[in-house]
Amino acid sequence: MTLSLANEARPTTETSPARPRTGIIDCDVHPGPKSNAEIKEHLPQPFRDRWNGGGRGFFGNPVHGARLDAVPPGDGGPGTDPDFLRRQLLDEFGIAHAILLPRAFCNLHPDPDLGTAVAAAYNDWLAETWLDKYNPDGAFKGSITVAHQDPPAAAREIERWAGHPHFVQVMTDSGARAPFGQRQYYPIYEACARHNLPFAIHPGTDGMGINVQPSPGYPTHYIEWHTGLSLAFQAHLISLLTEGVFEKFPNFRVVLVEGGTAWLPGLMWRLDAEWKALRSEVPWVKRRPSEYLKDHVRLTSQPVEQPDDDRKLLQMLELMDAENLLMFSSDYPHWDFDSPTHALPKLPDALHRRIFETNARAWYGL
Amino acid sequence: MAKHVVGTVAEIPPGQRKIVEVDGISIGVFNVGGAFHALRNRCPHQGAPLCRGSVKGTALPSAPGEYVWARDGEILRCPWHGWEFDLLTGRSIFNPHRVRVKAYEVSVEAATQTEAGEVDPRVDTYPVTVEADQVVLHV
Repeated sequence: MTLSLANEARPTTETSPARPRTGIIDCDVHPGPKSNAEIKEHLPQPFRDRWNGGGRGFFGNPVHGARLDAVPPGDGGPGTDPDFLRRQLLDEFGIAHAILLPRAFCNLHPDPDLGTAVAAAYNDWLAETWLDKYNPDGAFKGSITVAHQDPPAAAREIERWAGHPHFVQVMTDSGARAPFGQRQYYPIYEACARHNLPFAIHPGTDGMGINVQPSPGYPTHYIEWHTGLSLAFQAHLISLLTEGVFEKFPNFRVVLVEGGTAWLPGLMWRLDAEWKALRSEVPWVKRRPSEYLKDHVRLTSQPVEQPDDDRKLLQMLELMDAENLLMFSSDYPHWDFDSPTHALPKLPDALHRRIFETNARAWYGL
Repeated sequence: MAKHVVGTVAEIPPGQRKIVEVDGISIGVFNVGGAFHALRNRCPHQGAPLCRGSVKGTALPSAPGEYVWARDGEILRCPWHGWEFDLLTGRSIFNPHRVRVKAYEVSVEAATQTEAGEVDPRVDTYPVTVEADQVVLHV
């Protein structure tokens, strides 16, 4: 099976001055509204009065949640000023495109209608600001936020934006009530596959609101919770592979954003080994589970798990097939930002280009 | 080692800092409870502007469940990844022997004399002496 990664039907409306055709693609950048009012403006009643922003509520970072030097001059928090973000991130590091993932935290709400309304409001806001008004050169590419509490409604939200020149993927929090391979989510995946939009999973709302915490109960501290964010990603990936989602939706693609990467080789070795004996339990898994990754799954790099010895990191990159699966991300402006010039050791030129640029270009059709 | 005047003592009150550039190197000069300390403004981790970080205390190593807050005003925390550094030595808290940032010597010296500047001889002038201690960085 061959996949067409670039959506040829997607209109290209990049206006001048066009972004350079070379340069880093940063696959995890967080823009935010200047205030809740910017989102409320797009929220119909009764949800406008009911929603007041807010994120996790607990497991707040005890130090600082965003780079202290990312606060733009004037009003607004980190990631709210496009000119400042362009200077501090795009210009500073030669980034051609930033893939934007706003943090709506809509996946924690018990009321699916509220979750859906908040997702839609964030999409309207992003489309109006960062993907249009702030985007004369097409540097910013966006993610369609969906509330997976109501998959048919999420699918309709995807339909609403399909064909938009700057929305390049669908996104959700990793927080969920069930692993993402299960069939209640399939309306979302069907819409993603129909429009050739990857489904990005980003950490957030694990153990918050209606979502389960992917550890044995709640950890005590932020450091435990934050280190354990990769647990949900591993559970979701095992589920997607064993439930046969990529067999059912041959065009469906998944991006694991900020979920860690070094765990991938070991997990795949384990799953492949189990499959040899247990494939008849999941007979729709027709290939070794790890063989689905190249066609269907990408991982973003931040936070790079760094051994003391750079040579071991180069070995890890080889073991995880970084050449094909890894896409650079900085997580700007968050506190655990990975600098494009310092997060990874010196790489062979060809590998560097794949991780920092061409893997993402092919994946997103940029 | 050359001397570089950073400014006057009054300009950097306790708890405050001034970031200067000397020979192309960005350096943060901190007033820590009346004593001056200087560190290179570049985190050894990923090159962040370290001296723009927060200055607070820290929780010292202690028994599980015990909190010993100490060294208020002496701990500089990187504005990106939050690594802690001892403002007095430049050594990191988590690995003082291997992870450190360069510290520079700072002294306070009396200003020898005030620059007089050009004086218009047609205007009556009066002699003015400004005695200001200067913060001097040794790089």
